[in-house]
Amino acid sequence: MATQPAERPVVKLRLYVAGNGPNSVLARANIALFCDVENEQTCDLEIVDLLEFPQRALADGVIVTPTLLRLSPLPARRIVGNLSDRDKVLLMLRAV
Amino acid sequence: MTQHPEMVIATLRQRLADVEGTLDAVLSGEIDAAIDPRDSSPVLLAIAQKRLRESEERYRSIVETASEGIWLLSLDGTITFANERMANMLGCAVSDLVGRSFYDFVPARQREMAVQRMARAPSGVAEESEAALRLPTGCELVVIVKSSIICDAAGECSSVLIMITDATRRSEAERALRESEAEYRQIVESTTDGVVKLDPSGIIVFVNARFSEMLGYDAPELIGEHLLSIVMPSEREIVRDALHRRSHGAAAPTDTIYQHKDGKRIFVNIAGAALRDAQDRFVGILGVVRDMTERRRLQSDLIVSERMASVGTLAAGVAHEINNPLAAAMSNLEFLQEGVTKLQALGDLDHRVDWVREQFAEPLADARDATERVRRIVKDLMIFSRSPVAEHGSSVDVNTVLESSLRMARNEIRHRAELVLKLGALPAVVADEARLGQVFLNLIVNAAQALPVGQAAQHQIRVSSRRDADTVVVEVADTGSGIAADEIGRIFDAFYTTKDVGQGTGLGLAICQRIVSDFGGTLTVRSEVGVGSAFSVTLRVAEDAERAATQPAPRIVTSYAGRVLVIDDEDLVARSVQRSLGASCNLVRCTSASAALALIEEGAFFDVVLCDIMMPNMTGMDLYHRLLQVAPAQARRMMFMTGGVFSEEARRFTERSEIVVLEKPFSVAELREAVARFSETRELRSA
Repeated sequence: MATQPAERPVVKLRLYVAGNGPNSVLARANIALFCDVENEQTCDLEIVDLLEFPQRALADGVIVTPTLLRLSPLPARRIVGNLSDRDKVLLMLRAV
Repeated sequence: MTQHPEMVIATLRQRLADVEGTLDAVLSGEIDAAIDPRDSSPVLLAIAQKRLRESEERYRSIVETASEGIWLLSLDGTITFANERMANMLGCAVSDLVGRSFYDFVPARQREMAVQRMARAPSGVAEESEAALRLPTGCELVVIVKSSIICDAAGECSSVLIMITDATRRSEAERALRESEAEYRQIVESTTDGVVKLDPSGIIVFVNARFSEMLGYDAPELIGEHLLSIVMPSEREIVRDALHRRSHGAAAPTDTIYQHKDGKRIFVNIAGAALRDAQDRFVGILGVVRDMTERRRLQSDLIVSERMASVGTLAAGVAHEINNPLAAAMSNLEFLQEGVTKLQALGDLDHRVDWVREQFAEPLADARDATERVRRIVKDLMIFSRSPVAEHGSSVDVNTVLESSLRMARNEIRHRAELVLKLGALPAVVADEARLGQVFLNLIVNAAQALPVGQAAQHQIRVSSRRDADTVVVEVADTGSGIAADEIGRIFDAFYTTKDVGQGTGLGLAICQRIVSDFGGTLTVRSEVGVGSAFSVTLRVAEDAERAATQPAPRIVTSYAGRVLVIDDEDLVARSVQRSLGASCNLVRCTSASAALALIEEGAFFDVVLCDIMMPNMTGMDLYHRLLQVAPAQARRMMFMTGGVFSEEARRFTERSEIVVLEKPFSVAELREAVARFSETRELRSA
């Protein structure tokens, strides 16, 4: 993992999706947009398919998809839904 | 995922209930899948939602298109759902119903019951009952209420499903049906005809009161019996055929005879119809049965009165017929009487004889002709007044009867048509003079009445008789208006008439047909509208026809020389007999049978006793029987005279072979010949 400039801290994210379900597809598109274009911070994004790894979801306390987890910086946060609420998602990414 | 949609939904509901903080997301529809924490199995939400939607839509469409009102209640009676139909039924909007208490719509008197019912609901028993709903307007609605409890997959029962059917219309329809049934029952029970319903095999399944009364049974005794068991044994074969035909659709009314419980015969007329169900299957026979016993009795009475009536209608014509010759006879006789007084004023004998020849011959002949005509008319009348001799007829000369009938009807024909008469040579037929005369007279008068008065030259009545093999055919045809095809089948029906009220009873042809068929003959009709009608009477030739045709040849007797006793209560007759038999014979007159008896008991003996049959006090028959005891030889020399046989006793008396009867009126020649012939045969027998 490369060292990032101080003004752009790394945000570690994990998105649980359910295959190609409509909300899952939408959530993937939304988070990619926010991380790459709108967010000035670097995103470390892992996408986990619940249908393949249900045990991981349960380990993370995720029972519905799509669910986006912010693993770091702490405190950990989560958003349930297809991430269409742009303000809510950006706030989660920025608020350090 | 091959689970049943309802199961998926139920499972989903359960799982989602465990998910905290995700309800908004679930409800917002942003969730694709969920995972069951208990077994870590994922559930794809999109698929489940789709199925849920489909299932809900299906239920919604069922619920919304249902003709029942549907309510979903929580256990405390709060309405959680109502369909459109329910709202319509109550006259308000669905939104007005949800959240209100079900009890708001239950009338106060039924509230207790409704509460109990709700309490019973969780036990899972579905109920159906009639109840009332109170509408917001205050009116009440009669409904059928069905309730059942709804439980979820986990067995939790929290809702009651109530289905409401508007029973107002149903109960109205049922009431109308009940009323209509009652009405028909009343019609069936109050009709004067018997009504019987049979199953396809002929078993009685229903009878009305009249039917059981007619047969003397109680209805339960008849039901379950075969119809044939109440039919007279002699008629059973015919009824069996009729039942068979009726089950195949033919339904002409038939006459038959039933047997009353007490055994007596009941003449009935049955109009039956095959009963068919909605699928056109034969399910039985409905019969309307009319008791004709009384009518048959009346009919035979009517036949007598009809004959009297047909004679009555001709009485005026006959009086007219008699008056003409009578007037001629009277005036001629008066002329002769005057002549006798003038005779004395005349001179010598030769002159007187010439004068008498010249003056008396013509009026005498005229008077004689006139009285002959009266005699013939009276003889014709006698034919019609005579009571029927034999039920099945004896040998009768058709032409004689036909001529008599024509003379009787002359006055009816004269003003309406020209009479064309064609009589063939005929053997005697099986008939009865009086009744056959009635038939002919009826046909002739009918023919005449079919024609208008005053156009006699344009119309004809053709009467003909001819032999046809073993039958004699008499035809009476007119050139009247004819009978329409749809009426021709009814003209032989009793009481069917086209004449004005009072003109005819409608019995004439019906009776004619019966009389003719009694003789073993037929009465038929041919008719063409605008051309005329022709009635044909066909009669059987009598077996002894040839014998009846031979008559002894008359011979001329100018005088009789013997002792003769004439007994007649009418002295005019006795005196004329005395004159006719002439001075040559030794003749004694008596005006009573008792006087004659006294004479004979004193020892007098006569070669011939000419005695009237019908006399007051002692009749000719009484005298005969008395003489058989006191003076049998004298009794055997009794010859009888009669002006008409009025009693049954007298009729039987005159039919006895040893009795010789001379019918009044008789001519001088007839009297002389009869007395001479009688005297000769008796002389021979006693010699």
